Amino acid sequence: MAKKKNGWGKKQRAVIVAGVRTPFVKAFGKFLKLDTIDLSDIAVKSLLERTDLSHDEIDSIVWGGVIFPSLAPNIAREIALDLKLPASVEGMTCTRACASGLQAVTLAAAAIERGEADVVIAGGSDSTSNAPLNLPQKVVHALAPLAFGKAATPGDYLGVLAQMMPITDILPKMPKIAERTTGEVMGESAERMAKRNEISREDQDEFAARSHHRAAEAIASGRFDDEVTPVESPEGWVYADNIVRGDTSVEKLAKLRPVFAKDGTVTAGNASPLTDGAAAVLLMSEEKARALGYKPLAAFKSWSYVGVDPSDQLLIGPALAMPKALDRAGMELKDVSLVDMHEAFAAQVLSVTKALASKGFAEVRLGKSKPVGEIDDAIFNVHGGSLSIGHPFGATGARMVTTMANELSRTGAETALLGICAAGGLGAAAVLEAV
Amino acid sequence: MTDLLLENENARKLVKTLGLPIPVPEKLARSKGPYEERPLDEKTVLVCGVGGLQATLAQILTKAGAYPLVVGTSDAVLEPFVGPGEAWARPPRRVEPGQAPEGERVDAIVFDGTGLETPDDLHQLYVFMSPWIRRLNRSGRVVVIGRPAGDAKKPVRAAARAGLEGFTRSLAKEIGANGSTANSVFVQEGADERLDSVLRFLLSPRSAYISCQPFHVTKLAKGEEAPETHVLGGKVALVTGAARGIGEATAELLAFEGAHVVCLDRPADDAPCSKVAQRIGGSTLLIDITDIDAPERIAGELKDRFGGVDIVVHNAGVTRDKTLARMSPEQWDMAVDINLGAVIRITDRLLSDEVLRSGGRVICLSSVSGIAGNRGQTNYSAGKAGIVGFVGALAPKVAKKGITVNAIAPGFIETRLTDAMPVAIREVARRMAAVGQGGKPEDVGQAITFLATPGAVGLTGETLRVCGGALVGA
Repeated sequence: MAKKKNGWGKKQRAVIVAGVRTPFVKAFGKFLKLDTIDLSDIAVKSLLERTDLSHDEIDSIVWGGVIFPSLAPNIAREIALDLKLPASVEGMTCTRACASGLQAVTLAAAAIERGEADVVIAGGSDSTSNAPLNLPQKVVHALAPLAFGKAATPGDYLGVLAQMMPITDILPKMPKIAERTTGEVMGESAERMAKRNEISREDQDEFAARSHHRAAEAIASGRFDDEVTPVESPEGWVYADNIVRGDTSVEKLAKLRPVFAKDGTVTAGNASPLTDGAAAVLLMSEEKARALGYKPLAAFKSWSYVGVDPSDQLLIGPALAMPKALDRAGMELKDVSLVDMHEAFAAQVLSVTKALASKGFAEVRLGKSKPVGEIDDAIFNVHGGSLSIGHPFGATGARMVTTMANELSRTGAETALLGICAAGGLGAAAVLEAV
Repeated sequence: MTDLLLENENARKLVKTLGLPIPVPEKLARSKGPYEERPLDEKTVLVCGVGGLQATLAQILTKAGAYPLVVGTSDAVLEPFVGPGEAWARPPRRVEPGQAPEGERVDAIVFDGTGLETPDDLHQLYVFMSPWIRRLNRSGRVVVIGRPAGDAKKPVRAAARAGLEGFTRSLAKEIGANGSTANSVFVQEGADERLDSVLRFLLSPRSAYISCQPFHVTKLAKGEEAPETHVLGGKVALVTGAARGIGEATAELLAFEGAHVVCLDRPADDAPCSKVAQRIGGSTLLIDITDIDAPERIAGELKDRFGGVDIVVHNAGVTRDKTLARMSPEQWDMAVDINLGAVIRITDRLLSDEVLRSGGRVICLSSVSGIAGNRGQTNYSAGKAGIVGFVGALAPKVAKKGITVNAIAPGFIETRLTDAMPVAIREVARRMAAVGQGGKPEDVGQAITFLATPGAVGLTGETLRVCGGALVGA
């Protein structure tokens, strides 16, 4: 095994060399038998194959996720072990809710720029299909003495049974995407945002239809071939994202019933679906990439993470994070060539774009005299987004980085602005530049 | 003694089903927990009037979480509300003057009367507000804002301005049965931004038992940055008579907001006083405030142990009731000295020794019965009315150090003292309030805490009644 040079403290630029993801598949479907680690293994294995990277060059893996396998939560390390990478490839796993994938990638970039590493694989994954059902704490407390204690007598078992009444107390809790502090389901938050920002059902459906049309076009044109790897599941081969509906229309979407409020506007059609999938990104120091003969796709100009009050507008974070990332990059919205925003809900995306275009928002919330700006439809989520492609929580950030890095490289565009909202009132953003 | 008509569901039901001619008081909405970022979250506030405060009100209300419902004849009135509405996602809506659309209800009404010129303009009060009074939700709020009559150069303008106060007082009595309150705020030209915390307080449930009152917001005292939450973080507060009742409730609320509270009471009240201090993470100071060396010792302890004090709440007080003819000299002296003499001596000492830091707050307890007069309380009333004179005269002297000095005059507050009153008198006293019930110690505590905040810098030299809009005492 090649000995690594000690580059600690060396200033170097981190570049994105390549990215690969699994198809994104509707939860409880074709990836049912593949858990989050299996999906991650597949994405990273394909990334290594496609880039022909010598395993000895890899310093570490950084992985993001939201729902972790309770017996092996450090997915990054499990990937390295599953793929029989050198034992020296260390791994860490992080979470920042739906921004976890971007978090993993920026952690990798930061490590490289600090000279801590030269070659890092970063990404994220989630398998909602394999979310653990949690037993109520009452059951755990009753059973633990039997499980971890000394051999039990029949009397002990009776005692445990006695603690389990009434039966409704011991049924597993159904997992739901609800805020721990407010108890509000995320769809309800989106519903409130739609109302408060006056986002109409029509606008939401129109945005959702557009997302599907653009994603379908990208798939049909082969645009995603470079970044999506076919997966063999026990149910057969899966070649492409299976949530995208190229034939949907505003009229079809308009027929769906609101899910979170009787007179609401948020439907299954304009909300991102539960999804299984994984995405991996290869980052290197620029020097290393060139030395190994790779052509870097893009680099980070800046990134930012923010928090807002989750009981106010849970998913408005990007409206604060994106201007902050632009400021750090020394840029204005009008200067960026592409904008890619995570589409948790059409209502959330449109609330954020409305805030960015608002003078009042800029003055009061950002301390700026001019609005951040309107986003030109032609450069905005050019290949669709989470509404159509799907949203495996931890994978989405890495998917966006990959798609935008490829887009910069392919089109000659200069910069891309990313924005992601996340549970807990978090917002994330990054500015990528072509290399 | 609990108020049966308020606390006992069966009694409430019985009175209602039998149709007895007894008004059943409305349970007042009260705030739980510390100051919130959005005290008016999800509330709808009707904004109307004839003044230039729209932009200020738009900022204050949307930031506090309220939806503005603006009265006007064209969408131009929405203009100042659009930007702040977008910033906080609280879009404004417009309604025509003189009518309330079917099904529309509001949690509060804010009338901007800063543009009143002549008594004819008072007609706007009627036009804008009359259709909405029945649409005001329970525990609703009416705040009428104007300029001080005393600042008006023309007598006719002063007349119009002063009219607002009378209007508000009467309206308060009309909406009290609903648990709603009405207050007027007279803001000096140039002090508009100081309205922020005043409105956040008056429109929120923290002012549940304050009604019929005029507030005078001035530029007098020098201000500092005013936080919206954890409003007393890093402050040291002294509360006298902290062992129980209003003092205890106040100490608790001050601690909620981040103040370190020094709980002072007589050495004999060691046990209850320490208990309060312990519960709220404060300190205990056992001193009899009438002792000759009390001011010196209090100043010394505050200086040595805490490096000074930011908030002083003179809550300790006594009654020694007797008609003047029957009163002993000791009874007279004791009531006047504790209620007034000690307050002045301690305040003077804290000021002269510079123990009270700049930006400080002095809050003295007066009393509605002290102001209004009460048979058998000549001594008490002399003391409590003296407080009103004291804060009014001291306020301008310390204003440039950013110190404010105010008094709180509680009305009928359910405490140990009122429990001891004869049933009939107690019952009458409760129902004399516009809101038809007695207040709670926490209501007084909330008012004191508000006056203690940096945001309340616009209020100084005032005597604020916490009386639920009581009939007596004006």
